[in-house]
Amino acid sequence: MLFNSDVFLRFFAAFLLLYYLARGSLRLRNLLLVAASYLFYGWWDYRFLALLLASTVLDFSVGLGLQATQELPLRRAWLGLSLAGNLGMLGFFKYYGFFAESFATLLGHFGLRPSLLTLHVVLPVGISFYTFQTLSYAIDVFRRKIPATRDFLRFATYVSFFPQLVAGPIERGGHLLPQFSQTRTIARTMVIEGLWLMIWGMFKKVVVADNLAPLVEMVYHAPPNSSPMVILATIAFGLQIYGDFSGYSDIARGIARVLGFELMLNFNLPYLATNPRDFWRRWHISLSTWLRDYLYISLGGNRLGRTRTALNLWLTMLLGGLWHGAAWNYVLWGCWHGGGLVAHRAWSGDRNNAEGRWKPLAWAGTVLFVSYGWLLFRAGSLERILALTSALAHWNAPPYIYSYLLSLTVFSAPLLLMQWWQSRSGDLLIPLRLPPLVLGLVEGLLIWSILIFWRKDSTPFIYFQF
Amino acid sequence: MRSHEYQFRLVELRQVLGLPLVVVVGLVFVMHLADFTGLLPDPRPLLDMDRTILFHQASAARTPQKADLLLLGDSSCLMDVSAPALGRLADRSALNLGTLSYVDLAADAALLRAYAAANPGRLRTVVLLLHPTTLRLGQQSGYHSELVWRFLSRADLPGAGFESWLGLDLLRSRLLARLLPVPLPGLYGATYGFTWDLWRQLDAHSGTLTDPGRYDPLAPMGSAEFRLAGGWEGACAVLRAAVPSGVTLAVGVTPCPASFVRPETAQSCRTLLTTLGQWLRADVVLTNLPLMLPDQEFASLTHLNAQGTPQFTSTLAGLLKQK
Repeated sequence: MLFNSDVFLRFFAAFLLLYYLARGSLRLRNLLLVAASYLFYGWWDYRFLALLLASTVLDFSVGLGLQATQELPLRRAWLGLSLAGNLGMLGFFKYYGFFAESFATLLGHFGLRPSLLTLHVVLPVGISFYTFQTLSYAIDVFRRKIPATRDFLRFATYVSFFPQLVAGPIERGGHLLPQFSQTRTIARTMVIEGLWLMIWGMFKKVVVADNLAPLVEMVYHAPPNSSPMVILATIAFGLQIYGDFSGYSDIARGIARVLGFELMLNFNLPYLATNPRDFWRRWHISLSTWLRDYLYISLGGNRLGRTRTALNLWLTMLLGGLWHGAAWNYVLWGCWHGGGLVAHRAWSGDRNNAEGRWKPLAWAGTVLFVSYGWLLFRAGSLERILALTSALAHWNAPPYIYSYLLSLTVFSAPLLLMQWWQSRSGDLLIPLRLPPLVLGLVEGLLIWSILIFWRKDSTPFIYFQF
Repeated sequence: MRSHEYQFRLVELRQVLGLPLVVVVGLVFVMHLADFTGLLPDPRPLLDMDRTILFHQASAARTPQKADLLLLGDSSCLMDVSAPALGRLADRSALNLGTLSYVDLAADAALLRAYAAANPGRLRTVVLLLHPTTLRLGQQSGYHSELVWRFLSRADLPGAGFESWLGLDLLRSRLLARLLPVPLPGLYGATYGFTWDLWRQLDAHSGTLTDPGRYDPLAPMGSAEFRLAGGWEGACAVLRAAVPSGVTLAVGVTPCPASFVRPETAQSCRTLLTTLGQWLRADVVLTNLPLMLPDQEFASLTHLNAQGTPQFTSTLAGLLKQK
């Protein structure tokens, strides 16, 4: 079920009513949340539910196993079981085809024709998100950061919580799990904030991202030999993916808030970053902190000298790239960002952000760096990366560039203006400080715009494919 | 243990939810009021490729023009004949009002009537060009034909229930399409860009468009079949009735890729064309138009490319000059 679909609106309206009725019992509420979440997820393909359930059962059992023993080898074995189960599932569904084909291509260069079993495996929606979420739980229990839960229903609610099930934020057990054990208080301000997040998130998806998507496709589908077009399309994609993904995160956080839950912030004005490290502190925060806490630190972090730190950083980002998809362009994207982080660390040491007169230059450099990364990310194949990159040398433009510029400006302006306002005020929820009448007017106009661009055949969120 | 507690009364939500809804309802009201009082501009629904083409041809049909030679037909007519080149080669002034294969002959007749009404006494020749595939399938879409009728009468697009009630159709086709170009899909997008640019292209080439595709001979299954689907006889009578007296009506079929046509079927194509000519009571049946052309001159199964169009246009001009 997609947030931006008629069926979800009906589902959510019915769910809200039942949720209101279930307010007397915590157990009933969790049961309702699990049932709704399984319905939400099973709407794509009911067969995927088995995977979700398997992941839930596995890590619930691993948690109990870890809790029950103090012996390190046994605890390691339990953690190994979780890693093998989750990464095995992810590896099979997401990476088997990619590695089998890449291996066959490699052998082909040596004149060998291996008879590999190549399966066209359907990728279950959101598998990368919920496997990472359950893995974080097992690792946190192993590290004794959180106690294992003995309540299966509560754990199932944590794994399947529908607002963030398919595209995050990737929540930690320590943050979200306790919320399912407590009576939640839903204040009027939470409803106001939740409603705003849902409306603004939906606007970013339906009005901004979905209208920028064809502009991007126009150039990336058949790259023209035109530097201005490649540049504009790459800017458009940077804004599209931001609108799409942060839109999803906002809707997820808004829904959760209306239900009385808090989800972590996933985006914090990423395009105002002034260096690659700063960018990753603002972009997909739940993934970047996951990679930091569970991968980078596990590899040794910055404790093993400068060279090893650089290698760890680079390797973390490479794997982060691969997490996005089983394709070489994602690997390249990860390497690009890893390289950027290593270079920035070598250049600036532990200093965080540029100050004073260097700040605009640092910002522009970061935008350029991130944008070329988006080109790698969106291109889809190495051939297209080459075509798009070589097109940057041709400074000519097709006659329709004015239409392109007009569309790009109109659909990206609201997003950029909001960023500017949020950054200037230092408050991500600054529109809520408007007088109620003005806020109502703004929300009404946003809803009207959403209705204008609402599609019967809803466009999926980009991150669903990961 | 309680699940959750609401620290507000439901009536308090009135302000939170009510205000935005009042704004939306207000905007709906304003749209309908503006429509009712005639404050909105005429429809200009350049909302996608099909509607841009149909709206352009309808607008061209009801505008004073110089053309005395009018091309009518499906998308193969739109794409295979360059009207400016045809005009030059045949010492005439030509306008292409070719549309899409899903538009029926009754809508073509409406275009013709509109042109004759806007340009009284100017028209000398009408050429109807259809692709064999169109003639074989013959299942025109009522929706697309209705669009032509509506565009000719400056009416709005057919409404769609709730969206129509919200005034969104009015907003999209009367205001939004004037303010924002819509990107075209696929190769058309890469070549022409946006609906506005497509409009300019059609304007600059007297209603002709070039298919930017490249024909893949391996793609189509089977081979060309030359037969007339049911319903054409009646449709031909409707078109014939729209041809002003004294105006020559010519009819022909557009070519297929050579690899798609079996040589033994050439005769059945001529028979088909003769029958069509009889039903239309055509003054000229263009039997000498090429039935097939080399594959490399095609953009798709039904459209010539930029290389094939000049050759076909030149042949057509030659035939029209002879008659």
